[in-house]
Order: sequence, then structure tokens, then C-alpha cells
Amino acid sequence: MRNTDVFDCYLNNELNETEKVAFETRLKNDHLFCDAFEHHKKLINTLQEYTNQTNLRATLKAIHEKEFGGHAQVISINAPIGFFKRYGKTMAVAASTAAIVMFCSIALFNQQKQQQEELTTLGKKVLALEYTNDAIVEEIVKTNTKLNYVPANYEGSAFALNNNGYIVTSYHTIKDADSILIENANTKRTLTTVVYQNPKLDIAVLHVNEILVAKDWQVPFCISDRTLDIGEKIYTLGYPRKDIVYGEGSISSLSGFNNDSKMYQVSIPVNPGNSGGPVLDEQGNLIGIVRGKNKQAEATGFALKTHELIEAVANCAKELQKEDLVISAKKSNLKGVKRTEQIKRITPYVFNVLVYKN
Amino acid sequence: MSKPNLQFTDNQFIDGLRNNNNEVLTALYKKYYNFVLKLIVNNSGNSEQAQDIYQETIIVVFENCKKPDFQLNCQLQTYIYSIAKRLWLKQLKKNGNSYFFREDEENEIEDVESDMSIYHQKETDLDKMQQSLTQLGEPCKTLINDFYINKKSMDEIAEKFGYTNADNAKNQKYKCLQRLKKYFFEKEENIED
Repeated sequence: MRNTDVFDCYLNNELNETEKVAFETRLKNDHLFCDAFEHHKKLINTLQEYTNQTNLRATLKAIHEKEFGGHAQVISINAPIGFFKRYGKTMAVAASTAAIVMFCSIALFNQQKQQQEELTTLGKKVLALEYTNDAIVEEIVKTNTKLNYVPANYEGSAFALNNNGYIVTSYHTIKDADSILIENANTKRTLTTVVYQNPKLDIAVLHVNEILVAKDWQVPFCISDRTLDIGEKIYTLGYPRKDIVYGEGSISSLSGFNNDSKMYQVSIPVNPGNSGGPVLDEQGNLIGIVRGKNKQAEATGFALKTHELIEAVANCAKELQKEDLVISAKKSNLKGVKRTEQIKRITPYVFNVLVYKN
Repeated sequence: MSKPNLQFTDNQFIDGLRNNNNEVLTALYKKYYNFVLKLIVNNSGNSEQAQDIYQETIIVVFENCKKPDFQLNCQLQTYIYSIAKRLWLKQLKKNGNSYFFREDEENEIEDVESDMSIYHQKETDLDKMQQSLTQLGEPCKTLINDFYINKKSMDEIAEKFGYTNADNAKNQKYKCLQRLKKYFFEKEENIED
């Protein structure tokens, strides 16, 4: 019998009385034998402890998944506890502040050049107040288990430019931002960096910080250079609220605000938060970016023509020498596909943009 | 989550952990998670790190409970807080980030020095074991586990692994164990050097 086998038998209590006594006597007298036994014991003990701990870890992980969900994440140091304590008191103040801010901004707008007066940009001002009732109730329910996000200061829409993690939105949405995050039903909140901005055209190109987010991207629409005809049916997807919203209409004019030939006038009902969203034609080609609406006329929106975007992106890629900043020239794979199906495929590539400012 | 929230006293928690009671473990986990989460998030951590630290904390508590001479000299909450804090400080130091620890005055700190050092010693051993097992590879790993952990007989092992008889399986087990022993103690010597 090998020593190891004797050790195992002894530890498992499989030796008879005589063998046991003989074994223990040998342990006392034979140092080498004793050392070997101690080593063996330590190895087996460690193996057992290792297994126990691995199992315990798995159990804890399972408990966590079950009780707290696997994906709760915090982006700020504000702990969930105390959310109400923090915001509850200031809510009334926030309400009045909101009203004042709104009136003030309207007044300020009026004093500026007439051009600007007429063009309302469509970002949403999100104050603590506008953290909707539903959201607040939801937060209270979740407070014990899930973490809250601090509401963004400003929100808008965006869409994927290509499969490499580049995203297009409107410049006014991300202006003066400290941090810009994107989010939709398929993509968890992700920080982005501005790689290009053009206030004149009101566009900005963002890149996701965590490139893994874009690893499975297969942008279904193609960004078309074609100029549409008046009367062509178009539609848009965007985030005027927490859920994605669809809007349809047609091209009303080939020039936009102030006869700007870089824009279309569109008859899509656009709302705050739609800014930066994609405008698509019937074949699912991307043909414009929601820009703003005419303050004085209902249902007159403006969209930047994609021609301008394509040019701007090309120039920017050259300047920054970014090879992955390209517009995929491939044909849209949405042609001939039913509208509802088009929307289903496009939705993962339209994002809600959350902007935090100090 | 279907079960009502059972309230346990500190001693019931400790007893439950000693007896490997899963229900108690779940209740304990639920009870103090937000508490530790707050500690980590208030001190430049995120929720993922909080989850890691918390699970490590529970492991320390669990293993200390198992010691026959274990005695809780303070509230369980204080004990958990102290351990979590120690683990998190260690992590912060390891990452080399500059940090400022915001002490929560409501929480007393218990001296958990000795409990922690035993834990760290053990962690080193378990790390070595993990590496050795990886080095060992299959089928040895499963064979060793089947014999020493799952307590399978040599006949069962022979059948499972397709050895002609129990003696043959025993020979294989012997060879595997010799290799595991070599890997494990090699690491020990390297560290001592």
C-alpha cells in the first residue's frame, strides 16, 4: 500500500484498530512519514475548503441575481437611500423654479434675433419636477432594491452612424454637457465622447466609450444621399419621453427654416426630445436628422438633409484620421420590408441621449 | 421573494450560517446588502464593486461563524460593517487610487484584525489551490473531486472514467494527486523564497 492510500484510509476511518494504532505509532516515530501526512492533510483540507468556498460564492451570486437583479448599476455617488429625503423637500421649489425658468427662457428668446425666435430647438428640459409621476412612484417601489439614476438635465434622440460605435445626434442637445450617455431598450446606459460637433449644421458625432456595447451592431438602414421629392412619405423614431415614439408625415418643402436649402420642411409632429432623431423614407433609408420646429406653426418640423451629414462626417474623418468613422455605403436591408418590421429592426439603433450639465 | 420577510436575531443568523441554512443565508444577504452598498458607493465605489465586497464580507462572516470558538462581541451589523470596510480599504489601496474615506459616525467599528488575517492567509492557500487545479487539468480534476469531495468509491470512478477496474482507477487517482501535490507545494516554496 502506498503512503497516500494509507493516509486516505486513515482520514476516512477505514483502518481497523490494529492498523490504526500502528499508523499512529509510526507518525510519532517517523518524522518523514509524519511530514508527508501533514502535507497530505493540508492539501485535502485546502481542496475541501476551496470547493466549499466556490459553492458559497455561486450561492451568493444566485441570491443576488434573484433578490437584487443582475444589472443594477450606479453612475453617481448618490446612494438610493435618501432619494426622497433629498428631492422631496425641493420638489415644491423645483416646481416654481421650473415655471420661472420656462418663462424666462421664452422671454430671453424673444429678445434675441428674430431668426432664433422662430426656431424652437426640440431638446427637453428635464428638471426634477419633470421626473414624471410614474417615474417617482416607480422609484419609491424600487428604492429598496434598485439604484436610481439622477435625472438628466437635458434629453434628446440619436441614431447609430455605423457598426463601429459612432452615433449622430444634434449639437444643441449635447452643448455644454459634462457627460453624455445613451440608452435604449437594447443598450444599457453607456457613456459617450464627442468626436465631432458642428453648431452651424446642428449635428454632433459621439462615440461610445465602451466599444463592447457596439460589438453586435448591424445597422440596418443606409444613409442615403438622395434628395427627396415634395410629398414623399417619411417617418421618424425618437425619445420625446422614456419610450421610443413613432411619428409619420411627408416632405412639405425642399428648403427649411429661412429658405435654408440644407434642410427639409417636414410635416411630422415633432416634440421636445425628438431632436437628433433619424428621418427615414419608405424604403427605410435615412434621409434626414430632426432639427427643430417652427414655433409659430403647428406640425412644421425641420430636418437636416443627410447630404450635409455625409459631407461633414467625411471631412471630420479625414481631419481626425479616424478610419472607423465611415458611413457604411451598403444598401439598406429594409427595402420592401413592412413598416412595422422596419421599425422593429431600426429601434435598437435609435437612442435616448441623456445629458448632464453642471 | 415569495416568502415573507422573516426576522432573525443576530444569534439566529449565526446559528443558521453554522448549519448551512440557505433560508437564513438569503435573509442575511438581503438584510445588509443596501447597508454595505451605501458604504462602498459613498466611498468612490460602484455597485458592481459593492456586490463583490459584500459577497466577500459574507464569506468572511460565514467562515468565522464556523469556527468552534467564534463569539460575536458586537452587533452583527457592526461586525459586517467593520469587515466590509477593511476589505474595501484594502481594495482601494491595491488599486492605488487616491481616496478619502468618509466615516459614517453612526457606525461603530469593531476590531476584526485577527479574523481578517486568518482570512487572508486562507485566501492565499485557496488561490494556490485554484491555480494548481487549473494546471492539473482534466480528467484529473474531476477524478480528484469525485474521490475527495463527492466521496465516490473507486468502483464508481472506474466505471465513470472507463478504467478496467478499481485498482486501475486507484493508480490514476494516485498519479493525479501526486501532480496536484507537486503544483500546490511548489507554489508554497516559491512564496517562501
